[in-house]
Amino acid sequence: MQTYDIIIIGGGVVGSAIARELTRYQLSVAVLEKESDVCTQTSGRNTGMLHAGFLYKTGSLKALCCVEGNREFDQVARELDVPFKRTGKLIVGFTEEHRQRLLAMIERGRANGVPGMELIDRARMDEIDPSAGGNFAIHCPSSGILDPFIYTIALAENAVKNGAKYHLYTEVTGSEYLPDGRHVLHTNQGDFACRWVINSAGLHSAEISAMLGIPGYVIQPVKGEYFVLDKKAGAFARIPVYPAPTERNTFDTHATPTVDGNVLVGPNSFNVEDGEDYSVRQVGMDGLQESGARMFKHMKREYYIRTFAGARPKRIDPATGEIQDFLIERRDSVPGVINLVGIESPGLTSALPIARRVVGLLREKEELTPNPAFDPTRKGIIRFHEASREEQARLIAADPDYGEIVCRCETITRAEIKAAIHNPLGACTVNAIKVRTRASMGRCQGGYCETRITAMIREELGKAVTDVRLTNGNSAMFTGNVKGGEQA
Amino acid sequence: MKRTFTCIVCPNGCEIETGYEGSQVLSITGNLCPKGKTYVTQELVDPRRTIATSVRVTGGTLPLVSVRLTNAIPKDRIFDVMAEINRQTLAAPVKIGDVVIKNILGLDSDVIVTKNIEKA
Amino acid sequence: MMKKQAVIVGGGPAGLAAALRLKEKGIQDILILEREKVLGGILRQCIHDGFGLTRFGESLSGPEYAQRFIDKVLDAGIECITDCTVLDITPEKLVTAASREQGLLQIQADAVLLTMGCRERTRGALATPGTRPAGVYTAGVAQNYINLQNIMVGHEVVILGSGDIGLIMARRMTLEGAHVQGVYEVQPYPSGLPRNIEQCLNDYNIPLHLSHTVVDIRGRERLTSVVVAQCDERYRPIPGTEEEIPCDTLILSVGLIPENELSLAAGVELDARTRGAFVDEHCQTGVPGVFAAGNVLHVHDLVDFVSLEAEALANSAAEYLLKGSLPECRLEVKAGNNVGHVIPQRISGTRDFTLSLRVRQPLSNVSIVVRQGEKEVLRKKMRKALPAEMIQLPIKAEKLSDSADMEVYVE
Repeated sequence: MQTYDIIIIGGGVVGSAIARELTRYQLSVAVLEKESDVCTQTSGRNTGMLHAGFLYKTGSLKALCCVEGNREFDQVARELDVPFKRTGKLIVGFTEEHRQRLLAMIERGRANGVPGMELIDRARMDEIDPSAGGNFAIHCPSSGILDPFIYTIALAENAVKNGAKYHLYTEVTGSEYLPDGRHVLHTNQGDFACRWVINSAGLHSAEISAMLGIPGYVIQPVKGEYFVLDKKAGAFARIPVYPAPTERNTFDTHATPTVDGNVLVGPNSFNVEDGEDYSVRQVGMDGLQESGARMFKHMKREYYIRTFAGARPKRIDPATGEIQDFLIERRDSVPGVINLVGIESPGLTSALPIARRVVGLLREKEELTPNPAFDPTRKGIIRFHEASREEQARLIAADPDYGEIVCRCETITRAEIKAAIHNPLGACTVNAIKVRTRASMGRCQGGYCETRITAMIREELGKAVTDVRLTNGNSAMFTGNVKGGEQA
Repeated sequence: MKRTFTCIVCPNGCEIETGYEGSQVLSITGNLCPKGKTYVTQELVDPRRTIATSVRVTGGTLPLVSVRLTNAIPKDRIFDVMAEINRQTLAAPVKIGDVVIKNILGLDSDVIVTKNIEKA
Repeated sequence: MMKKQAVIVGGGPAGLAAALRLKEKGIQDILILEREKVLGGILRQCIHDGFGLTRFGESLSGPEYAQRFIDKVLDAGIECITDCTVLDITPEKLVTAASREQGLLQIQADAVLLTMGCRERTRGALATPGTRPAGVYTAGVAQNYINLQNIMVGHEVVILGSGDIGLIMARRMTLEGAHVQGVYEVQPYPSGLPRNIEQCLNDYNIPLHLSHTVVDIRGRERLTSVVVAQCDERYRPIPGTEEEIPCDTLILSVGLIPENELSLAAGVELDARTRGAFVDEHCQTGVPGVFAAGNVLHVHDLVDFVSLEAEALANSAAEYLLKGSLPECRLEVKAGNNVGHVIPQRISGTRDFTLSLRVRQPLSNVSIVVRQGEKEVLRKKMRKALPAEMIQLPIKAEKLSDSADMEVYVE
């Protein structure tokens, strides 16, 4: 049986942040992730916003963690080599009613400690982003955009660098608490033992909580659908533009530039039973086309390159259905368990502050010895297309693999794909390569590079044709050879 | 009897209205060239097609080499011919025009290589 | 920095034909840049026959057709760098490319020939609803796996779109043991050529369902089924006509898009109808000395025409290189009634040229009329005209006026 001091269930952005923060101490840490990679669910299916924190109730964990996470993110992005831009954000209004809501929002932002929010007029909006709709707006300078895949991967890789262990394709199916104070977790990959279990299971956090002995929580998955627009549309989007909040203090469809220069239009928002059903509906896309065009003038069919969906695991009051704050708890009655339930938006912004609170709960019970070897930094894969011509020439001279462009649309080289295939987490699906390098994220959606990437996965990892997977589970790309037998 | 044929001889794809009795063409309209009449006559008696597929290559820069037939074969023998081709393996190098199977299944058509593959 | 008279971007059928013609016309200093390891472009994976009927009077496979040009290019000693991807072209015709062996190349060209071909339209562009499982492939990607890599992509197949590559793949996959359940086309007519409907679908009893589309894609890991539905005349699915088809593979053959990202970088203006460059009768784009031909200019149905167009391009490019300029083309060519697009979009009115066009919908017993003001330049009767077929009309200088814009329409 594999034994660790601490096992984290769920390798999303929060689980990975916890793993990374725990490796600051002399602890053996493992993460059990049921999927093929760390960011295939909620952590990889969102807008990629670094939220400012003006939306949440003053004093709530959502507000506290968000503002804290926002404030430190320049340093975090530097340490972990995460693509990030502090773009600021516009929240636009058309009517007097909107104006009142926006003013209330500024008040709440101030109370939460969000810096620099102000109401601006159309003239000032035109200076910031002429393609934004609306008559006036809040300008919130601290908002930003980041690459949610790379952030999650960076936290996980940094955790691994500092000694944590990731077990992918490992789904927890049951648990036991032994008299000697150990937890045994049953999984599809055998049993794991530990002194502490941390529930960071996102959409499944209520189930895992009940399994660990804390029943009664209810997760309502709230799904959202998105369009991804070509970088040509991205040229028109300088800053995230949100509509004035609805009466329920939520946002309708918005247009957000991504850190790579695309535009996301969405999400819409509706309750679902099954949070892992990521299908996109025609009615949803029709709605996004209409509402998206109001927020972003360049919402045109010719710019569509992809659609996707994600789900926010909202913790609700089972009696009233009201949405609850993040829950981060440790109970003396349930020893060796730290329980996180309902970590949803702004979870990406809040991941490290949440992780520090988890460490704080652990410290209430244990003395933690610092890990002298801890290194907070992680370097990402060198991006050829972001390099200057001189650097590009040097890169190719040093390694000819930089001279072979595998993904034409995004200018991704063989060297980058190779680095991604040999990533520290051991994720080896086509999707894992894509989120690490952006290969096949462009307008041809893999038409040119996918055949090359799958060939490289086979060559580099010695995989059989039938073992190449697109993403989670048994998403086999191929059924075999055309002509006789396995090829060399 | 009347039947409309789509001629497959060239990209024009003429729609040819044909009146016929048994295998005898009585009337023909719609073909832009005489090949259309030949095609229709053949279709009535003995429809024939060529096929293209691949053969495994060992030791080459690609795992497969493309092949085709030099003459059309009876349409109902296509899958017999495929099965025969599927039994073949070649060793690199191979060159355009190399004969893989001479007179396949006695159908008066050769299977030939249509791509050059160098040794890896 | 290297200097070249002509840099040809792409060593497929267009680039190869253009290179040979340039050489014949006396241009010595030519460089072909090709991103693949070998020349030939997409023809390498088009192993079916039917190529070269116009050109060589015989039916060749794609690789054979390509090899005839490749052999001549190599014999002519034309310089080619393969495994070399062009990263940028400036309006001043500075070409930057990355190569494994030669590093980062910067080449100042006197003329740039854009022959990059096209890419396939994807599911993302269609915004087809449903999940994102493995088993959804564009036809060209499936063709690459099956014909070049010896990899089978699936066994129970549905094909969306009736483009020629989709039809060809229906036959290919059937021959290799897959079961193709049907081809679904949103338009009320096929987008591929009639002969391909006949020899790729009808020969193998594969049904073609017109006015149908895929409205849902199901399966979380590998594809498990698609839902198809009938569509109305505005291509909207008709509620109540849905049918679920279990399958493990969906092949998309829903259109080709000229690959013009480099053209845009070079400052070339594109035509929204062709999605290729605006060109004059010399195949010259709006940027002097930058030319385009083949599928990067407009999507062709036959490679023979790609070769011809590239040779016409090379004639003009050679003249440009030898004389320093080309006659000005001030007259506009407009696509009128029922004409989808025209190439070229500008002419001088003083020279012979070939007009290429496609009709918007299937038509029978019509005339294609080419007119300059009151003057009818040409009238061609056609028993049938299909959007699937590119129509080419040679136009003689002596019929032309050098002062009136041209309109092309169907009557």
